[in-house]
Amino acid sequence: MGSLQHLPPGVGQSVDVIVSGFERLGYIADRSLATAVFLVTKLRKPMLIEGHAGVGKTELAKALASLLGTRLIRLQCYEGLDVNSAVYEWNYQKQLLAIKIGEGSDETVEEKERHVFSREFLLERPLLQSIQEKDASPVLLIDEIDRADEAFEAFLLELLSDYQITIPELGTVRAKHAPHVLLTSNRSRELSDALRRRCLYQWIDYPSLEKEMKIVRTRLPAIEEKLARQVAKYVHAVRGLNLSKPPGVAETLDCAQALLALGKQRLDGEAIDLTMGSISKSVDDTARIKSATVDKLLVVSDEDLRQPGQ
Amino acid sequence: MIRSSHQPEASARNIVEFCRFARENGIAASVEETLASLEATTVLTSNRPEDLKFGLRSVMCSSKEDWDLFEGCFQAFWEGHVSGTAAERTGHPRESRGSRLGRRDMPSLMSTGWANDPSSEQDGVQAVAGASPHERLTKADFSTLPDTDMAALEQISLRLFRQMSRRLSRRRRSGTSRGLVDLRRTIRRNISRGGEPINLLFRERSPRPHRLVTLLDISGSMSPYSLFLVKFLYALEKHFRHVDTFLFSTSLVEITHLLRGARLQDSLRDLSDLPAGWSGGTSIGGSLREFNQIQRSKLRSSDTLFMILSDGWDTGDPGILAAELATVKRRVRKIIWLNPLLGLEDYQPITGGMSAALPHIDVFASAHNLESLLALEKHL
Repeated sequence: MGSLQHLPPGVGQSVDVIVSGFERLGYIADRSLATAVFLVTKLRKPMLIEGHAGVGKTELAKALASLLGTRLIRLQCYEGLDVNSAVYEWNYQKQLLAIKIGEGSDETVEEKERHVFSREFLLERPLLQSIQEKDASPVLLIDEIDRADEAFEAFLLELLSDYQITIPELGTVRAKHAPHVLLTSNRSRELSDALRRRCLYQWIDYPSLEKEMKIVRTRLPAIEEKLARQVAKYVHAVRGLNLSKPPGVAETLDCAQALLALGKQRLDGEAIDLTMGSISKSVDDTARIKSATVDKLLVVSDEDLRQPGQ
Repeated sequence: MIRSSHQPEASARNIVEFCRFARENGIAASVEETLASLEATTVLTSNRPEDLKFGLRSVMCSSKEDWDLFEGCFQAFWEGHVSGTAAERTGHPRESRGSRLGRRDMPSLMSTGWANDPSSEQDGVQAVAGASPHERLTKADFSTLPDTDMAALEQISLRLFRQMSRRLSRRRRSGTSRGLVDLRRTIRRNISRGGEPINLLFRERSPRPHRLVTLLDISGSMSPYSLFLVKFLYALEKHFRHVDTFLFSTSLVEITHLLRGARLQDSLRDLSDLPAGWSGGTSIGGSLREFNQIQRSKLRSSDTLFMILSDGWDTGDPGILAAELATVKRRVRKIIWLNPLLGLEDYQPITGGMSAALPHIDVFASAHNLESLLALEKHL
């Protein structure tokens, strides 16, 4: 199939290199994810990442970019995202100005036209940037693709198969170094089969208790193991509550950080109340956490505290 | 086909066979995935067997559903023991998707008359001509209509729904005003005038159809109306950009994908195959809660229409219904509640559920006959 591209020395040699590289960067990835990332770099296919909000989908792209030592180019999708803001646009003000300035000159209309539609007047948006990198493949993160509409998805499909963009006035821009593409989706809309087909797929679940503790301790080295375990357990229990917006890893980290800032040594009923805002993002959820389970959550945590202490 | 050795031996032949095996078991892996799998195995040179599994998983899967099936498939094929899930599915690709909705041997509520012989559709076209039966039928209540008129009514309804759908999409196009100035084309057009933007060109605002989320009550009390309502929804599906449709009685079942069929008859047949465990009363509140928990990311306050088709006979707690409806209300533009009982002359919406729901509803309309369904057009 396609030729394998050159990577920075060391990276992409094996899955192990990726696992340890991520760990060095403070991104805790399990082997499944690392294998998929390895294949992204080797097979040169885009990867579609799905999972609950706040499980580190976006973070992965940042980690991959710094691991490869390349640029991260990010495109945040939203409803109504169009080619003008995703690919390129002409700098109209500058064009009008240039036309004004050139009014007295003897240039023909064709020459003027060629002038104002040259690179100088082109505003490069993320997708065009991503195929223009001169030295190495950048990482292109297309965030929350499910928010963009189908028309844009179809355009993207074209880009992802050829890594080239045609600008009518300028011609075709072809990628010298095809980007490593990561797409994330929160599944608010079903993506087209064609797009799914083109991509590798990775589902990221909430991390296991052990992994979440590890993430907390890696990100917040100041935290004590006991507290990290309590927080992780608490968040795990909260996730089981059927909230409308269950907390992700980002919320766990927020909560742990809040506890550190408050100088709390352990998580108790009061601490849960104080840090409620970092875990629950709606009134209903707050009520659900408070009413149903504060006691249960703490019992779990206390028991757990005693055990490793003995 | 099943390997007995524990150590996966990733020869090209095995990979190809595994891909075929996975395909048979419901994972949407085409030839393209097979080729990519082969490529992946050549680069995955480590001798940890799980790397092969993880690698193949990310290559061959393309959705969460595939992802969940993969583990069973992989074990069944490479490790020789056929897990229950994979074994059941052998030979029934994708069938299991629907079966989590309920048990297969349960009677299907929707089988009655839904999967009609398509030929009746053809015959009916000629049979309905002339204005007077047409008028009579569009005003007739679905539940009191004699069987003999059913076929004729179906024909009329199909045609009218189709017309309405077409009208809706046209209305949107001509209704758009002149949008933003298209600077790119304006500059190009005016270069010969020294760049002075004399002739402005506009970028037409692209039509922005609403998103429609519908919950259709299919409990016993609604059954005379359900068939027409489903047809109505099928027609709407054609012109809304995003349509999500659910059936509910005591629990919620998504049927969006079933209404996407190119032919109505196919959709109805698929629907009648849906296993249904509907018994007991209607729990509108409970179904809404289920919706809010799982599906509410489908709602966007800017452009979502939320439609409930139900008679409001709720065996659940009206308080729950009101609370869940309030939650929905915050996330949608409009809540439309269609109640076939409104067609009865002496009906008052005072049942527990209905009166609890009323304060949250923007449009409360009837849906007992064709005319009332077509009148909805102005709200869509």
